[in-house]
Amino acid sequence: MSSVATETRVLTGREAFRAGIREEMLRDERVLVLGETVRSGGAAGVVAGLFDEFGPRRVIECPVSENGIFGAALGLALAGFRPVVEIYSADFLLAVANEVMNDMAKWQVQHGRPDEPLPIVIRGCMAATEGLGPEHSQSMEPFFLHAPGLELLTPSTPATAYAAMRAALAATVPTLVFEHRKVYELSGPVEGGVIGERVTSGADVTVVAWGWMRHEAAHAAERLAADGVGVDLLDPVRIRPLDLDPVIASVQRTGALIVVEEAFVTGNVGAEILARVAEALPGHPLRLRRIAMPDVIHPYDARLERAILPTADHVVAGIRTLLGD
Amino acid sequence: MSELGLYRTMLVSRALDDECMDMLARGLPVPHFHSGAGQEALSVGGAAGLRDSDVVIYSHRGYAQLLAKGVPLEVIARDMFYKAGGSNAARGGVMHVSAPEIGVPGREGVFGARFGMAAGFGLAQRLRDTDDVTVCFYGEAAGARGPLYEALNMAVLWDLPVVLIAENNGWSVNSRTEWLYPNARMSAVWRGFDIPVTVVDGNDLGEVRAAVGEAVRRARAGEGPSVVEGLTYRLHPHIWWDDAAYVPAEELAEAQERDPLTLTRAALVAAGTAPEQLDALEAEVAEEVRAVLAEVLAGPDAQWDVEPRIVGVAGV
Repeated sequence: MSSVATETRVLTGREAFRAGIREEMLRDERVLVLGETVRSGGAAGVVAGLFDEFGPRRVIECPVSENGIFGAALGLALAGFRPVVEIYSADFLLAVANEVMNDMAKWQVQHGRPDEPLPIVIRGCMAATEGLGPEHSQSMEPFFLHAPGLELLTPSTPATAYAAMRAALAATVPTLVFEHRKVYELSGPVEGGVIGERVTSGADVTVVAWGWMRHEAAHAAERLAADGVGVDLLDPVRIRPLDLDPVIASVQRTGALIVVEEAFVTGNVGAEILARVAEALPGHPLRLRRIAMPDVIHPYDARLERAILPTADHVVAGIRTLLGD
Repeated sequence: MSELGLYRTMLVSRALDDECMDMLARGLPVPHFHSGAGQEALSVGGAAGLRDSDVVIYSHRGYAQLLAKGVPLEVIARDMFYKAGGSNAARGGVMHVSAPEIGVPGREGVFGARFGMAAGFGLAQRLRDTDDVTVCFYGEAAGARGPLYEALNMAVLWDLPVVLIAENNGWSVNSRTEWLYPNARMSAVWRGFDIPVTVVDGNDLGEVRAAVGEAVRRARAGEGPSVVEGLTYRLHPHIWWDDAAYVPAEELAEAQERDPLTLTRAALVAAGTAPEQLDALEAEVAEEVRAVLAEVLAGPDAQWDVEPRIVGVAGV
């Protein structure tokens, strides 16, 4: 049998995240799942079925005790296990910001073992869908971007969901996987995803977008292509560390960069990307812009929320403004 | 460890504290030094006699806990003075001493995360089907934080082999324990979990050992967690900048009467150890600790040879 054909599964985003976890659990019995309601599939059904398959010693149903759970995850990792810990909604990570940013992120360095792996995967559903309210809808990447010692992944498709979960499980530092709720519902091939994808190629403007915003940006690129505007759309998938080289190379060609992001605009990831690109290209004429969620607390009413979330329309308008149309 | 060995460990810890206090009095820096003087019986009684595979999460005054678990004095001192050859090459100082190979994983920076960690270590011991245990020391500060409730609930729920040792030393920096806990007791609330909660004279080595011994036995047997609260007293100020003027002189004098070193010595004599032998031991330890500190202080500073990988935006 020398067939080069590889199996191509078509799964939902939710199933793709689960497949990444399940396959590693099959491969390595040190991988444990911890979290609230995980026995019944977790907050968004990502770990559904794993309790039945692996049992209570691998899928550990926890009380609603985020500090206890995240502390235990650190203890388990230091004791040689590989915990995959679910946060019920990514917004709730603020309840364990101390465990994540003060303990997990710093532990190996401050104990003199910077090269010792600390394999902890933190994952959970994130971002706005339809009126979940202001403390269940935020995009949390910027809060954690600032912390040295963590890796952040923000997949956008079933393929990048699978790739991101595998990358997180292979990481040697505590890694957060932010699972956009809308990505759960997408369907597509699982294999072939990479950390850092070029979604469309174009010579006129560089666009960086991840998570659900990749899709809004892709729709915008499609509409602009019809008008002859070429969009170089890059989805980094991993936000920290961010591979800036493809972005810089693209901006050297286009001279124009837009970052599309669902997080609040002030202090967001886009601000960092624009700053880094500007620093990397001194003297280069640059047109820079962010499209992001305004600094508005998410309304509960989905109709109001829809009015403030960034969409393809905003991206099209932003690119036209940037290019002086 | 023999009774004499336990006393010796207490003496080493006290000598370290005394030397550091002397250095402070001479205006020399002793970074992040928190004296454990007065709490040696609770520390040594709680941490001695455990296996290398048992985990101890130490408290920030717990030099005696580290010593009793087998961390060499010179490692503690090198970390304290940012010297080469410690456990963390000046990246964590004496606040983050570790020796994972003998069950000392380190310490958290913001008091409180240790409880979840203790549950995690206990869960790991349980998942591996060992009869190892995790002993977690904590003071008034950490013990007032919510993670203790969360972790103890998990430990009780899952019968984890966790022993919590509350160090009730009368003070939380410059606040009295009675201002922070009802009736000045740190463990009373945990009786609600229907687990063994024992309050002991934390300066009585025998009483501490009996209570912790029973808690460890239960944990090894799979009977779940226990709490031991030791009543003791912080004989030295909180930290270098603290003149401890808030400590009433009469109260301190009373506490010094009940110095655990004095009590332990008296118990040894009562059990038949010759006072001359103890005199010699005390002199020997004082000399030994002085020599170790002199050698450590004369040694080279830690180099930044453990620079971490940069995890951030590429190229920076």
